[in-house]
Amino acid sequence: MDKADKILESRSEFLRQVPPLVPNPEEEGGCGVTGFISSIPVTGKNIFEPSAQMHNRGNGKGGGIGAVGFVPEALGVSRQVLDGDYMLHIALLDSSVAAEVEETYIKPNFTIDKSEKLDTLDDYRSIGLEVRPPDIMRYFVRVKDDVLDAFIQEKGLTFMERRDAEDEFVYQNSFKINTRYYASLGEKKAFVMSHGRNMMILKIVGYAENVVRYYQLDDFKAHIWLAHQRYPTRGRVWHPGGCHPFSALNEALVHNGDFANYQSIYEYLKQRNYQPLFLTDTEEAALLLDLWSRVYKYPLEYMIEAMAPTSEMDFDMLSPEKQQIYKAIQTHHVGASPDGPWFFIIARNDVRDGQFQLIGITDTAMLRPQVFALQEGEVQVGLICSEKQAIDATLISLVREDARFRPIADKYWNARGGSYTDGGSFIFSLKNSGDASGNKKLVCTDKFGRVIETPQDKEICDVTQPVESNEACKAIEKKLQAFFAEKDPATATRKIVAYIQENMVGFDANSLRFAVQTIKKHADENEDFNQTAIDSLTLLSDLRYNTGKIKRSSVQHVIKLALDAIFDETTLITGKSNSIFSRIDFATRGEIRAPHNNEKILVIDAEAFEPEGDLCDAVLIVKAYQLGWKRFIVYKYRGQRFTGCGFGPATGGVRIDVYGSSGDYLASGIDGMEIYVHGNAQDQLCQIMKDGKLVVYGDVGQTFMYGAKGGTAYIMGNAAGRPLINAVGRPRVVINGTALDYLAESFMAGDPLNGGGFVVLNGIGFNDEDGSIREYDSPYPGSNIFSLASGGAIYVRDPQKKLALEQLNGGEFNEISDADWELILPYLEENEKLFAISIDRLLTVDNQKKSPQEVYRKIMPKK
Amino acid sequence: MGENMKPSTVKIKKMPSRFKHQVPKYKITRSDDCINCGTCAKTCPYGVHERPEGHNRVNPPINYKCIGFECQSKEFCCLTQCPRQALSLSLNPMYETLGDYRWTADMITGTWIMAETGYPPERTDLEYNVGNSGGGFDKLRFKFPANPPKVDKAEISTAIELNRRNDGRAPVVISTPVYGGGMSFGSVSLPTMVSKAHNAAIWNTFTCTGEGGYPEILMPYDDHVITQVATGLFGVREETIQRVKIIEFKYAQGAKPGLGGHLLGEKNTESVAKMREAVKGASLFSPFPFHSVYSIEDHKKHIDWIKEMNPIALVSVKVSTPNDVDMVAVGSYYAGAHIIHIDGGYGGTGAAPDIAKKNIAMPIEYAITKVHNFLKAEGARDAVTLIASGGIRTAHDLVKAICLGADGAVIGTAELVSLECVRCGNCESGRGCSRGIASTDSELADLFTEEWATQRLTNMYHAWNYQLVEILQKFGMKSVKELVGRTDLLEHIDYSK
Repeated sequence: MDKADKILESRSEFLRQVPPLVPNPEEEGGCGVTGFISSIPVTGKNIFEPSAQMHNRGNGKGGGIGAVGFVPEALGVSRQVLDGDYMLHIALLDSSVAAEVEETYIKPNFTIDKSEKLDTLDDYRSIGLEVRPPDIMRYFVRVKDDVLDAFIQEKGLTFMERRDAEDEFVYQNSFKINTRYYASLGEKKAFVMSHGRNMMILKIVGYAENVVRYYQLDDFKAHIWLAHQRYPTRGRVWHPGGCHPFSALNEALVHNGDFANYQSIYEYLKQRNYQPLFLTDTEEAALLLDLWSRVYKYPLEYMIEAMAPTSEMDFDMLSPEKQQIYKAIQTHHVGASPDGPWFFIIARNDVRDGQFQLIGITDTAMLRPQVFALQEGEVQVGLICSEKQAIDATLISLVREDARFRPIADKYWNARGGSYTDGGSFIFSLKNSGDASGNKKLVCTDKFGRVIETPQDKEICDVTQPVESNEACKAIEKKLQAFFAEKDPATATRKIVAYIQENMVGFDANSLRFAVQTIKKHADENEDFNQTAIDSLTLLSDLRYNTGKIKRSSVQHVIKLALDAIFDETTLITGKSNSIFSRIDFATRGEIRAPHNNEKILVIDAEAFEPEGDLCDAVLIVKAYQLGWKRFIVYKYRGQRFTGCGFGPATGGVRIDVYGSSGDYLASGIDGMEIYVHGNAQDQLCQIMKDGKLVVYGDVGQTFMYGAKGGTAYIMGNAAGRPLINAVGRPRVVINGTALDYLAESFMAGDPLNGGGFVVLNGIGFNDEDGSIREYDSPYPGSNIFSLASGGAIYVRDPQKKLALEQLNGGEFNEISDADWELILPYLEENEKLFAISIDRLLTVDNQKKSPQEVYRKIMPKK
Repeated sequence: MGENMKPSTVKIKKMPSRFKHQVPKYKITRSDDCINCGTCAKTCPYGVHERPEGHNRVNPPINYKCIGFECQSKEFCCLTQCPRQALSLSLNPMYETLGDYRWTADMITGTWIMAETGYPPERTDLEYNVGNSGGGFDKLRFKFPANPPKVDKAEISTAIELNRRNDGRAPVVISTPVYGGGMSFGSVSLPTMVSKAHNAAIWNTFTCTGEGGYPEILMPYDDHVITQVATGLFGVREETIQRVKIIEFKYAQGAKPGLGGHLLGEKNTESVAKMREAVKGASLFSPFPFHSVYSIEDHKKHIDWIKEMNPIALVSVKVSTPNDVDMVAVGSYYAGAHIIHIDGGYGGTGAAPDIAKKNIAMPIEYAITKVHNFLKAEGARDAVTLIASGGIRTAHDLVKAICLGADGAVIGTAELVSLECVRCGNCESGRGCSRGIASTDSELADLFTEEWATQRLTNMYHAWNYQLVEILQKFGMKSVKELVGRTDLLEHIDYSK
């Protein structure tokens, strides 16, 4: 018997005592997950905002939070106790068993360094909860020496390190509590919410943010916060046993999705003496991680491989050594690999390596939404969420707490599930920096250990400082003055943007802030300059160029403040002005009327609008359109959905500019209008789109243009999974980056040379250091492109011929003809105009200008 | 039309078979002894025999009109009236090849008669209310009370509301608790689609586009058309969502859960490809499931999107019947659906793969009760309309489904049978439909006119409504709504005392 077997075997006796379990009646599908890890401990308030933002991903029938890495003083224990002791959090659904649990399971086994009942609000109903959350007893404990000795002897675990044996004891002891007071009872009485070191899990029947309120964690600090909004579909849930996060020992796991192979994993776990007691797939995931990490002692990479196996062409791209190991892992554990849509966020106290970790893993088909983000500087924060707006909400909240944080992350990205490129997982690890400061340092890596970095040597503007007007500023002021004096606003905009871009390299933080402030000042002083100021600032935020000494995210932050201020200062719809702008917000939404006088552009402050339903800004926009408005600027978006939906047919001449975190389904169904998204966009954009134009100055999310019939779209960055799936007719799209996978599956867009549709895929990105264009290793690393397509074409920029026939399932490669080039040229020209991605640059390979035929390949249906 | 439409005002009109010889149950053989005297033509009230003026001979018998052996007890029976005993009656051996255990030959014949006459068959030799499947609806019978309260037929209402959410959206009422299922342009011919829509307008009920676009020719019937949004999103545009009162999400079909819709290349003719904006001749497979919906919160978002585009329409969610169909239903209710449409495993045309039909989804009669009871326990039953489909063949099936807990039903095959579908099962092939129903082939699709088809459907709906009213009267009920969930009015013939 090997060592792992002995550990598992040690559980046999009490496992026999587990009574037959009734299947869990609470079924769920999706939910919202969010988590972040910060180099400094931050308060529970900060998980409040993103949780509240994801209300529409839950239904208020289950919420939970996890937190890792505390401040000893706040808990009234020493650093040594906090680091060394297990923190038992026992949920008492029935308070009368408290003494019994303590007498039977705690006192005889543990030395208790501290015990307390968690503080709560007096009345749960005061925050709208319908079910009283459980009382929580917290114990800081170590296993008594003699108890542990006996355990080791009795179970034959003498080969184990003493601490590992202690871990196992704690695991088994909690299991017994859960069996006795939870699983075996019709009336549940108590269960262990978490028992890991320096971490806790709290869950309630209600929205996750109410955990923070009820247990009074607003000012309680931790390095990692994790939250989960649950969506159980059955009505009455009266205790939070089935809520996330789940934990086996030193981790807290939340999950969005569900497994199709719950039963097979259940068997797999049972064969290894793991008995799920709460009967949700999420618990299984936590148990799998525990098995692999604590019993089998797999490194993280192998655990991720076991969860989300590398397959198809991605497997072929691995090195032979990796293939050998991965194949062994897959052979042993494929039965435990969760099948179906899932996305995990795991907060972990990695006690072995002395670090805290926040990990995100997606399933291989990337069926759930996921966004990662990183912000570095004096303080660092890594974030993982279902939706980008939850990330932005977290950052905004963090800024309020500590001005060293900023509202825009340095980097946002998605993982490509089960891939050879990133492995479908990213890990934020927080360790002591090792220097004298005693600070912690956050490092982000992918599954393979490759570090994700942001430029290290760039400055961040401190926007709390006043802007000084020094000598250098005078020159800037003079220049800008001259540009604004230009008669033609478009020329003015072009000159302003060019001037700042060219001089940016020499700018320090003050010069940049001065320049932006000056642009705004022109708008303040003369309404005619509003448009020029808005256009210039927008382009300076959207485009990629060398931002010199300053971080791009900081430049964007400075510009965002100025733009928001310009929009905020626009006259409200209730006021009178001769401006072409008029502003409306949630409070004045009822005052919507036809445009008066010179009014042309309706500026909508989206902040207080609901994400969907009758109080969604999308409804207001439709109403405004019906009253005669055609131009819209929507700002301060925080995930509101359906922008541009509901206008009806033939909306040529309508233009919507979108700022902030726009939401799902934007432009879905549009027929003629133009929508400009200034920043990254979310999921389900342009579904069934018929005609019109979408421009995104960033990435787009899942199932972009699903079932689209036509229209054009320009994407500056990447598309996530399944773009243009099932699209028909004549959609015409330029994606400058790449797509995660399944691009143009079942594409049916006729013959592009005879009015049909196509995608131009450029496979390029931008260097963070200087904003210059760089080629990706492969324009399309995914294993499936143009699968089962019967019409349309993909024009892929692939001068190195990286794409292989293996990636096509039903398509074939062709040389592009002159007619093909003539067809796509106007789209590349527009792409150049919009994003400053020049055709010259696209046709340049290794510093040599090539012909279109040498650079682009055409993928079309096999004849 | 409109909400106050009364079924009694629907005009029925005889609409005979397109074919001289349907598949008859009986066969009359005329021997050489016949002297062409014409007695049979004079005596037979059903029109089996004809002796046209000026002809020398009696026409060959029109067998399908014959009511069979029961006629022998009647005075006018041709067998006895024939002075030469030249006529003999036998069962037609071909009749056995018609139909199957679920859709028996009698049931098909009965439906044809309803479509022709507007009434249930008067003859008693056809068991057209139940099939011969050995289970499900075929084993259930009604327990009529001995002395029901007296109700006049004119007092009986068969109307049901489809919007019970009280959310300010359209207060849609249908006058008979049945509507037509989704069959795409491409899967069926244009005249089939149009006649279904026209009939829906006549009956103040609905038909559904299926997943193949919304032909402009249906626009006069916008108020009676459901736009289906299925996983391929074929032909779905904002306009087609905005012009209707009900939008149906088709998540799955009971005949083939786990599979999307499919239209094989042969049926993807030029006009079909144009409507779907796809490539002619390529097989069109819709994915399963929606690429944008992998969870309940995605589902809610999906519904919110439709509601955003059409602020007054109702949302119907069509799902198949997996084991946890109750969860799916309640989840859809919480996500904002007005109609939960559960589709059991007995439906489907010949295009659905045999391996899937009847083998995956739960039988609809189990699913209805499961969902009805679950919604009741949730306190949500009154706020949602429950529609059943997938094996509702007859008016009796409809009533049984309602007794089990549905508010109404969706029918598909029964409509096609009224258009003289013989259930040969060749629907998937381009020129396979000998009746010109499930085909967009330019020749086959012209085999009948819209007028003929509309009247056939109207007649069939009339016969069903007639039977429904009769049953309600026997129960002493004034409204079909009283029937919902009354399982106590049913008995299983294997267990009844």
